[in-house]
Amino acid sequence: MKSISIKKLMVAMTATATLGTAGISYADDPIRIGGLYILSGSAATYGEFAQKGIDLAVDEINGSGGILGRQVEMIYEDTQGKASVAIQAARKLVYSEGADALVGLDSSGVAQGMVPTMPELQKPLIITHAATPDVTGKLCNSFTYRISVNVAQNMKAAALVAAETDATNWTTIGPDYAFGHQSWEFFGNYLKEINPDVNLMSETNFPRFGAEDFTPFIDRVMDSDAEGVLISVWGGDLVNFVRQANTRGFFEKDLEVMFTVGAATEVLTALGEEMPEGVHLSTRYWYEAYDNDINERFVKAYLDAYGNPPSYNAEGAYAAMYAYKQAMEAAGSTEGPAVAKALSGMSMEAPNGTVTFRKGDNQAMVSPNWGVSGPMHPEHGIRTLNNLQIFDGEKVARTVEETGCKL
Amino acid sequence: MKTKVLMAILAVVIAGLIAVPWIASYFYVFIFTEILILGLFAASFNLIFGYTGMLSFGHAAFFGIGAYATALVLIHLEWPFLVCLLVSMGASALLALMIGFLSVRLNEVYFAMLTLAFGMMVFAIAYQWRSVTNGSDGLAGFTLGSFGLGLDLTLANPSVYYHVVLGIVAIAAIVLYLICRSSFGMILKAIRQNPERVSFAGLNVRTYRLVAFVIAGTFAGLAGGLIAPFLRVASPELLHWSMSAEPILMAILGGTGFFLGPFIGSAAFVLLETWITTYTESWMLVLGIILALMVIFFRKGLLGTAIDWWMEVKK
Repeated sequence: MKSISIKKLMVAMTATATLGTAGISYADDPIRIGGLYILSGSAATYGEFAQKGIDLAVDEINGSGGILGRQVEMIYEDTQGKASVAIQAARKLVYSEGADALVGLDSSGVAQGMVPTMPELQKPLIITHAATPDVTGKLCNSFTYRISVNVAQNMKAAALVAAETDATNWTTIGPDYAFGHQSWEFFGNYLKEINPDVNLMSETNFPRFGAEDFTPFIDRVMDSDAEGVLISVWGGDLVNFVRQANTRGFFEKDLEVMFTVGAATEVLTALGEEMPEGVHLSTRYWYEAYDNDINERFVKAYLDAYGNPPSYNAEGAYAAMYAYKQAMEAAGSTEGPAVAKALSGMSMEAPNGTVTFRKGDNQAMVSPNWGVSGPMHPEHGIRTLNNLQIFDGEKVARTVEETGCKL
Repeated sequence: MKTKVLMAILAVVIAGLIAVPWIASYFYVFIFTEILILGLFAASFNLIFGYTGMLSFGHAAFFGIGAYATALVLIHLEWPFLVCLLVSMGASALLALMIGFLSVRLNEVYFAMLTLAFGMMVFAIAYQWRSVTNGSDGLAGFTLGSFGLGLDLTLANPSVYYHVVLGIVAIAAIVLYLICRSSFGMILKAIRQNPERVSFAGLNVRTYRLVAFVIAGTFAGLAGGLIAPFLRVASPELLHWSMSAEPILMAILGGTGFFLGPFIGSAAFVLLETWITTYTESWMLVLGIILALMVIFFRKGLLGTAIDWWMEVKK
């Protein structure tokens, strides 16, 4: 028998009626969560995929009674990938739109600027994408959490993958900001630790983020005696990069090519067959890597709703909404400090298995995925991943002492 | 009579500005902080643009260097806030002297292009000198210490910071106003209208232009020193040529012929941006339309047009 709960209807009606009076919080008001993503420019697809993941989670949560009996409402702001814009946007979300909690951040540079201001806002932030180790390291604070893999975790895994190859001369091509530089720094340090004989070339390549022409950098690597190259270019830049690398014959050279965020489905969808076979691709979450009910349900719902498989950014954003649901219900309130406290040390079930926000640095112990690009997927229109490796999130993480975080 | 009414309006506006943290929602404390800082930036620019007639496309260099100076001092030396501002002003004055010395000898489009080139040079240095400026990410993660002068102010509190900014911008605006009203300011106006004539009167036009350029740069540096602790980041965008365009837009929007025009322009710019971006991402399109209409129909800007209208109607 199907019946519409009168109470639910009433809640929805009062929620609609009180929508105009933002700022004052009634028990029946929707819980407002602010999303801060890149919604314009060459990385805008990441923001869109995050929104898709969030919308899916919000629909599910609202459909099953909301959080603490209240509906969830999302408000988005475009960070434009700039720290100053994001900081203003966060203030707007919290003080003007009455956001109870924040999710988001695609860029490491943005995260480094914004995270130190979180204690002033007194609202929790779950980072779903930006990977700089600093925000769960030397810049950490009790309001900032991260549900996605960070650079240190992913580069430890990358170094383990690289150590298995025959390459000894390594160089990098990465975006010229925190992410590109830190990726190379952590990768180099870990690889040197595992294999002291490797040579980290001093000739590195850092094109500007959003640069349209990567050919000078591609040519430079092809002309050098590099045997392995770590590429941390991402987003629309990576799509441009791979296309230009194809025309230069970059992938025909005898190089070990490692794309640190190459298995982002945003990128794989855009590239299709243009992404070559036989290159190492990583992602913070590969949709076929996890065999559990939540993942099965999530991937199916996502495919049904949007027609393409979920990316790591969609998964992180999706899981973050459930993290807030669990934390707010554990805290019994939506008060910022109480919710932030409930997140500390919390374990939850997510599409990528059991996720725990480590008490010492608020970094989720989630696993980086690495694989080698294989044939096209018959239905999804993207490359498959062979030799898939799911690294243990805790084993590849720095220890709390190493992070430099003091909470 | 009319002056008295204008003064009364000004007094009400100032009283309103002081009361912002108590009467407006918390969010507007941030908006008004930004308006005041950018207003000072635009007013400093108007000293060379509206008064002296020099269109600089590199004014953000001084704004940005002020922001970086304060950020660097806060990170490495943790000096009191007022000292940071003095360092910012000193750094931008020095930079303005160097760029000005090479630029003011040229006129019109050549001056504009030269300032644009120097501005982008400064941007390139900030963007690439990663070990000092942290490259494209900019400097972030600094904390605000004491204010100075033995005053016990919690600068991290946005309301306190707003009042600090209001006080400093008010003092700076009064100083700028006195400069504009002085005989020096009169000569700048004369230079705008007819440089040959000023030259024939026995005055060294180039020196006057240089001094105006340095004063404008110094106040832009002060504004930059205020923006870094407000944004909590000093990033290369603050030095970019598109940032140099903002005071130009604000001055035109508010009215270049009036001392307070750039402040009105800054208020209109920031408020419109805040409101419009709530509804659409294409705020630049709306701004473009508004600016085109202003330049075609209301050359004197918002303030100039309003004052003209009021003077006409209330005769």
